[in-house]
Amino acid sequence: MKRVMISVLAALSVAMAGAQDFKAMLREIDSLGDFGGQDFSATYTIVSEKPGQKPETVQVRVYRRDEREQFVFLFLKPERQKGQGYLKVDDNVWFYDPESGEFAKSTIKESVQDSEARNSDLSRMSYADDYDIEKSSEGKLGAYDVWILELVSKDSEVSWQRVRLYVRKDKPLVLKEEDFSVSGRLMRTVSFPPSYISAGGKQIPSRILIVDEINSGEKSQLTLSDVAVGRLPDDTFTESFLKRAR
Amino acid sequence: MQTARLAFRNLSRQKRRSFLLGGAIAFGVMIVTLIDGFAGAFVDNVSENFSNLLAGHVFVEGVEKSPKGRDLDIIRDDAALREAAEAAGIEAKYVSRRSALQGSLKFAGRTASLAVQGVDFAAESFLAERLALASGSLDNLPRDGIVIPEPIADKLGVETGDRLLVTTRTYSGQQNVGEFAVAAVIKDPGILGSISAYATRDYVNELLDLAPDEYQALSFYLPSLSGMDEAGDRLHAEVSSRLQTFEREAPGAEGENPILAMMRGEDEETWTGVKYRVTTLNDALAQVQQIVDVLETASLVILLVLFLIIMVGITNTFRIIMYERIREIGTMRAVGMQRGQVRGLFLWEALFLALGGAVAGLAAASLVMLGVGLIDFGLDSPLFIILKNGHMSFRLDWASVALKVAIVAFLTLAAAFLPARSAAKLDPAVALRTAV
Repeated sequence: MKRVMISVLAALSVAMAGAQDFKAMLREIDSLGDFGGQDFSATYTIVSEKPGQKPETVQVRVYRRDEREQFVFLFLKPERQKGQGYLKVDDNVWFYDPESGEFAKSTIKESVQDSEARNSDLSRMSYADDYDIEKSSEGKLGAYDVWILELVSKDSEVSWQRVRLYVRKDKPLVLKEEDFSVSGRLMRTVSFPPSYISAGGKQIPSRILIVDEINSGEKSQLTLSDVAVGRLPDDTFTESFLKRAR
Repeated sequence: MQTARLAFRNLSRQKRRSFLLGGAIAFGVMIVTLIDGFAGAFVDNVSENFSNLLAGHVFVEGVEKSPKGRDLDIIRDDAALREAAEAAGIEAKYVSRRSALQGSLKFAGRTASLAVQGVDFAAESFLAERLALASGSLDNLPRDGIVIPEPIADKLGVETGDRLLVTTRTYSGQQNVGEFAVAAVIKDPGILGSISAYATRDYVNELLDLAPDEYQALSFYLPSLSGMDEAGDRLHAEVSSRLQTFEREAPGAEGENPILAMMRGEDEETWTGVKYRVTTLNDALAQVQQIVDVLETASLVILLVLFLIIMVGITNTFRIIMYERIREIGTMRAVGMQRGQVRGLFLWEALFLALGGAVAGLAAASLVMLGVGLIDFGLDSPLFIILKNGHMSFRLDWASVALKVAIVAFLTLAAAFLPARSAAKLDPAVALRTAV
């Protein structure tokens, strides 16, 4: 009888998982970073640790205008990088160095000042648009019941070919993301501890922990502060803004 | 003719003075000749060494525009390229097909970034002859074997047989991880150490997410450096008649490398399928030619500056000569020597001095070149790229040498002209009365 009960419960659980619209869940997760056409700005403080080295702190002010897919990253710390920045205009990403006063073409996939974070972590991406759900299952992460979603990239142009997401069952909030290489090896784990900042009616994780699974002991912590949602001046997304920002 | 003979004899009357003046001229000529010789061989040596490293003189690369507008380096099918090469009459000593990844090698907590060339070792048998092995072997290279330069091996603390982790991106930009087994360590190839690691194309392709028969660059190693641009033009024309190609001459900013200008233009273009870029080693090394141009200009400037200083010395010396020989000039004028002959006497003397100095300078430069050329800097020298088999080499353009000797002669004559004119203008009676 007990065995039958277990089988029935398992079957029910599979049926429930099947009934869950995971694509809609991904859209909901994406929408947490969507401020309905309003601009977004925040300060990210990134503390990177490497074995045998002192932790390094980088602070970046991020300005986003998602309706036109524009962004500006402005480095506030460390002092030697203060005033450097990235600017996305149309499809091009430019890196600005105040020492030379020059803009150089860059890529969104470059890592942020030698930390485990990548520029793409600071800009908006879309799980629903970039990935297909290959598999789903249930599990537990700490005190939370979670959906475990195995995602496969729709094309070969996103950084990670495979991503495993741990999504809270009670709310569509990601607690953990595991990023895999094309060869199938776990390259990094991104944890989103359940502490959130409310902005523009959305809940945004206030801390993100990124662990490099290839280089043992290397990790970075991103902390979000000074979050604002609302119209930014148009000239924020221009070269002159970065030039005079220092 | 008699004036010339007299002038030649006059030179030997004050041997020490002639030797010093001629020596100054010789020194200037020697310096300029050495710079010219170095600049002449510089292009040849750099081109030769680069052609060995890049495995060719004429290159074809395929670029595919991704749906998101990124440029992806890939050659999917080279049947039409092979046909085009045949039609263009490209007679290559070797043809190579390579892929390359930019990666980070990791071992025991240490990291080194470098480019790894994916090579078909069976087809590129000549590569084995060019790599100076420090340890290990290229025979029976395992599929995941890697050949790394000594400085990288030292940095990572690895030896042959160790396994390394490599993080890289696929050809379309996705993160990937693999493992290499160190099969051999090669001697330090100097400043190009960061681009001279080699692995099997099969495994590099796997890491790049390319199919086994795909690759990124087709290279033709020509029998000699001359004619590579013409070969590139012919190949471009033939490839263009069969496939989509980029223009050979991209409008670039002044001083910009032609290949970089070409690539910048590609960013702004859109197309579907694979489009091909035909380049030559000369395009890649356009900056080297600029260095040579700078060296040649510098040699001319040095020549002029040195000779301005030497000219002051020559003018003063010829003035002294004039005063020393003032009674002699008076006597010669009194017995019928014309003003022009007196002037000619001085100018012939200056010309002999210039030519003697130039010949001595060329001889001294040849000796220095010979001596320096004998020094073996070794194949692992940091100067490797400008050396020829580990030796400094020089190549003189004889037309340029002749031009510079002519400039030296002209400047020496110009320096001696004023004292020569003054001597010619002397009144014989006054000259004979002058006490020296």
